[in-house]
Amino acid sequence: MSGPARTVPPDRAAVAVRVLGVTALAGVVATVWLGLFVTPPDEFMGNLVRLLYVHPPMAWVAFLAYGVASLASLLYLWPRTRAEHFDRLAGASAEVGVVFTGLTLVSGSIWGRPTWGAWWVWDPLLTTTALLFVLYLGYLALRRVPGEIHVRARRSAIGALIAFIDVPIVYLSVEWWRSLHQAPTILNPTTHKTYVHGSMAWTLLLGFVSFTLVYIWLLAHRYRLATLQDLEDTKGLEAALAERRAEAVAG
Amino acid sequence: MNGYVEAGYVVVLGTLSVYGVTLITRERAARRRVGAAPGVVRTGVRSAPQATGGDAPVGGHVAVEDEERGSGP
Repeated sequence: MSGPARTVPPDRAAVAVRVLGVTALAGVVATVWLGLFVTPPDEFMGNLVRLLYVHPPMAWVAFLAYGVASLASLLYLWPRTRAEHFDRLAGASAEVGVVFTGLTLVSGSIWGRPTWGAWWVWDPLLTTTALLFVLYLGYLALRRVPGEIHVRARRSAIGALIAFIDVPIVYLSVEWWRSLHQAPTILNPTTHKTYVHGSMAWTLLLGFVSFTLVYIWLLAHRYRLATLQDLEDTKGLEAALAERRAEAVAG
Repeated sequence: MNGYVEAGYVVVLGTLSVYGVTLITRERAARRRVGAAPGVVRTGVRSAPQATGGDAPVGGHVAVEDEERGSGP
């Protein structure tokens, strides 16, 4: 079962993750400072525009996380690249994505209450985003259904790919249906124009970069946790087998 | 400013902080249970960790190597 342990540079990956974490934290602090105290209020939204320095980055990171989960699932399903670390990566990324999707919904709801007069409306974008949240919660539940490791990984990978179908639907819903939600303002797919400028644009861009780094940092930790949990399961299984063998010898 | 703005930032930053701290705590607890040495752990169903005979110190690191490439059914 066991092979010779290879020594790898012990802390290179850990140091990289720590540097990433510190960079992400600095980026988030700068985003919050610029968003709350430096950028001006919007002509129409007033101070509520400050919520938009965190809300769109949450949605972007959720899409990115689901994209990574889908890519990892595809790589797992492809026989030539099949490896358990792709299954772990998919699970880890989807979990982080669910957190960011939840934050997208909550931050959007907090923005919507004073803007639209309601915490929630059954708008196409909001509804498909809520569906996305539920789909990936289902995916995480599917991963917990017991089964042989490769069977479980394969059905999880298929589940991740099915859930990902909703991502482009969410993004294009404001174009396809009459939506209360505003169309993309950073790069409008119809007009190909940008509607955010100056310090607001830079702050928003910084928000995207910072929260993307936060995602990578969280993903690294979630992946390591999944790896350790798999290792723990393996050790538990080996211990149980050894116990049974000892019982058989004694009996 | 606006109570909604502050609430939005608190919810977002608070949730991410709690999630991050939870992950780190769980990771350290898992590392202690596994007894992983700081620095070297081979993982995967077909591989085993380097024996250490003790708990890793809190804050030790696990350099993860995956060796399961092509280990599908």
